[in-house]
Amino acid sequence: MPVYQDNSLCRLRLKWIGRLLALLFLGLFLKLWHLTVVDFTQHSVAAERNRARTIPIRAPRGVIYDRDGRVLASSVNSFSLVCYRSEASNLEATVDYLVQGLGLDRQNLKQRLAVTDGYSPYQPLVVKKSLTMAEVAYLLSRKGEHPELDVLAEPRRSYPYGELAAHVLGYVGEASRVQLETAEFSDFRAGDIVGKYAVERVYNRHLAGRNGSRKMLVDSLGRTINELARVPPEEGAPLELTLDLDLQIAAEGQLGGRRGAVVAFDPRNGEILAMVSQPAFDPNRFAARISRGEWDRLVGDEHNPLQNRALQSTFAPGSVFKLVVALAGLEWGDVDPNRSYFCGGGVTLYGHHFRCWKKGGHGSVSLREAIRSSCNVYFYQLGKSLGIDLISGFGHAIGLGQPTGIDLVGEVAGLVPSKEWKRRTYRQKWYRGETVSVAIGQGPVHLTPLQLARMTGILATGSAAPLHVARSRLPGGPPARNKSDIELSSDNLDLVREAMWEVVNRFGTGRAARVNGFDVCGKTGTAQTIGRAGLSKLEGAQASRFIANAWFVGFAPQKFPEIAVVVLVEAGGSGGAVAAPIAANILQVFHDKRDPDRMMEMARQ
Amino acid sequence: MIRRRFRVGLDPVLVILVMAFSLMGGVGVYSAAEPGSSGLFIRQLIWIALGIGVCAVLVSLDYRLYTAYAPVWYCGGLVLLVLVLIYGSEINGSRSWLVLGPVHIQPSELGKLAVILTLAKSLASMNRRNPGAWHLLKAGFLTLVPMVLVVLQGDLGTALMYIPIMLGIVVVAGLRLRILVWCLLAVLCASPAVWIYLKDYQKQRILTTLDPELDPQGVGYQTRQSQIAIGSGGVFGRGIGQGSQSHFGFVPEIHSDFIFALLAEETGLIGAGTVLLLYLLVLMRLIGIAVESRDRTVILVVTGVVSMISSHVLVNVGMTLGLLPPIGIPLPLLSYGGSFTIVTFSALGVALSAQVQSYVN
Repeated sequence: MPVYQDNSLCRLRLKWIGRLLALLFLGLFLKLWHLTVVDFTQHSVAAERNRARTIPIRAPRGVIYDRDGRVLASSVNSFSLVCYRSEASNLEATVDYLVQGLGLDRQNLKQRLAVTDGYSPYQPLVVKKSLTMAEVAYLLSRKGEHPELDVLAEPRRSYPYGELAAHVLGYVGEASRVQLETAEFSDFRAGDIVGKYAVERVYNRHLAGRNGSRKMLVDSLGRTINELARVPPEEGAPLELTLDLDLQIAAEGQLGGRRGAVVAFDPRNGEILAMVSQPAFDPNRFAARISRGEWDRLVGDEHNPLQNRALQSTFAPGSVFKLVVALAGLEWGDVDPNRSYFCGGGVTLYGHHFRCWKKGGHGSVSLREAIRSSCNVYFYQLGKSLGIDLISGFGHAIGLGQPTGIDLVGEVAGLVPSKEWKRRTYRQKWYRGETVSVAIGQGPVHLTPLQLARMTGILATGSAAPLHVARSRLPGGPPARNKSDIELSSDNLDLVREAMWEVVNRFGTGRAARVNGFDVCGKTGTAQTIGRAGLSKLEGAQASRFIANAWFVGFAPQKFPEIAVVVLVEAGGSGGAVAAPIAANILQVFHDKRDPDRMMEMARQ
Repeated sequence: MIRRRFRVGLDPVLVILVMAFSLMGGVGVYSAAEPGSSGLFIRQLIWIALGIGVCAVLVSLDYRLYTAYAPVWYCGGLVLLVLVLIYGSEINGSRSWLVLGPVHIQPSELGKLAVILTLAKSLASMNRRNPGAWHLLKAGFLTLVPMVLVVLQGDLGTALMYIPIMLGIVVVAGLRLRILVWCLLAVLCASPAVWIYLKDYQKQRILTTLDPELDPQGVGYQTRQSQIAIGSGGVFGRGIGQGSQSHFGFVPEIHSDFIFALLAEETGLIGAGTVLLLYLLVLMRLIGIAVESRDRTVILVVTGVVSMISSHVLVNVGMTLGLLPPIGIPLPLLSYGGSFTIVTFSALGVALSAQVQSYVN
């Protein structure tokens, strides 16, 4: 076979190919050099980020005690089911498994597993908290089939008394995305447990402690190879409250599921001894991640169990407000307490007939008698003579119509109306007839039970100590309000106190609040919540039962008071019949508790 | 006779280089293999040993046997390629494997060697300075048939690697440069049409190579992780067995297609650079053998071997460095994989045999 034997072209071409290859390899080397030398730092950081994951170890929250060191909220160990979504090969199968095994709601679970806000796919996502031992056993026995699921021991908030003092203690939950963007929660991260309400929220920083962390070496599926470093968590600091568990239990029991609020506090220093709002909620439900349905039920409840009625709701104070009007008259109005008005069961003022609660009338009544028998006609006249601006001004001076500054969240201001207010709000003139209603605590005036408590404290001691629930005020709580900035004459105060003593002890409207051996002073209130027109549609007794809010405010003992109490029963009926006995019971418990000390003191003398 | 050949002709530098590669390949696969599961490592060692054995046998025989029987290898290759289409097992989306008990054979790799021998024989026998239209058509046809069969398996990457083999041989055989230029222009013009026929994932791969940030978690993930592995190795590397990118599954196919990333992560610029240098030395050595030979067949066979090895190295390393789209192409002598290891050693054996023969002449 003839073959062309000159290979010079082949050799030439081959040499050129060799040079081309050398050039291409040089190109590869340059790229290699660029990656390993020029961009070395960037790639090292990326590799480190791939390799190491930091998983938080949750710190147990600080224990909350009552004033005698009894535990109101603690941290307990619980087991949580977590899912590492990056490891799940088939989330559908995971969902099936959990729905079947733990009876979780499919829709809910799917939503939960789809959450991306602030979570990296490598971060364990809590699917269910507070697993039962049976659930833990179920999950662990099938761990091999579901490597994406794990059971972690985590501290959980526990409230041993359930609903007791729920509105003071508050509740905790996972920090929401919106919260995390606020300064209040700036130190916290997605998935952290933070206080959401009341003391848990106000003293969150104090109670939260500091989460620890575990730095784990992981592979590309997020599986742990081993632990690189561990920072142990720091438990949150304990917090002592001013609440007295015995009093709190008594108050809760006395209200007994009726809608309303009770506040008991020490008027000398502003320490809240008991604060009840019912209906309440069980904060334990929130600690174990509340279900959507349950949350909707709580929020949708027309009686609003999540709201602290003692400071987040306002009510017409009714006859309790007569104390304010009386003191305003004495202090600012130059009223002669001995001047009497005649009550014939009603009076016509400005062309309108205003009725007294007692159809037959009280006859001729002085200020003291008017307070004792809660005579409306007297206060109609007094209010008329004082005028709204004086009443309003004095009310504000003793702290009504503004938040008390207690270290809880969501406190509202309430309202003591004035001419200026009406002009600003409604662009209307104040009608003098309205003053007459305000004088007996009806009409536009509405206050929180806590404000009335503050007022009662002022009556008891002559000054207002800042109200608070934490034993020592800590950073994070709202600033305490200054003491009432007015000086009240002790003669005037004594006169009102004497009248209040008679309310309870001299056949007044509040005799049901009497406690043997304990000089209780008080004032009842029965505040209508709808107008007379609506009232007339209902029959007499039934009307007061369903419409009126029952009030009692009081303090004891008369000399050197140690406790002040406010009771509100919504739609409870008459203050004297419904609210006063509740107060009596609470005061009785307080009296019983303080008795042994007194006996000790006496024995020493 | 055999002994004399070894003593006289065998290029010691090339032998040492090839041994060095075998060693590195073993170490690389050893490092890549999961701790405790040494099966992969042992299997690769067996492949390397087998490869060296085949290489030794091939070196000891007369290279003319290989080209003389080229049509036999070629037809045998085609038969296997057809068989794999019928009886093949599908792994990773392509039907490329013939499973015979514990042995997985990849005919598409064997076909490369058959094509080298066939083209070399065909073009060496032409009696003119430049190949004419007939030769080119014949060469094109001989390459295209196995290529199409490989494409039918669904392994476009491997099929594409037939092109540089043919191109290298045809160019060295004296292809007029203007024809080459025309061909390249034609390919450029045809590429938009080809684009239409590409599968979506193939388009994605090409696009993400142009812009790796396009899809860092999806298609760009492999490339990105491979670059992180290489870059984090730095100048000196993180030590054998210490690469977290390679060992904790961040870089896919670390023992086969992405073994260069492991080498770079664990031995750094120095190790990976040395590997590149060694490849270049092997290739230069082979080119040297061809240039010294007076037999055109030898020149063309060695050219084919050089084309095959260099194109695989360039494409594979280019891919791990993020310069080319990820194509499943093994790195010669280093990647795990039986068929290609055997084929590479065989190719080297054939080339060395040719070299030994030229000394004898």
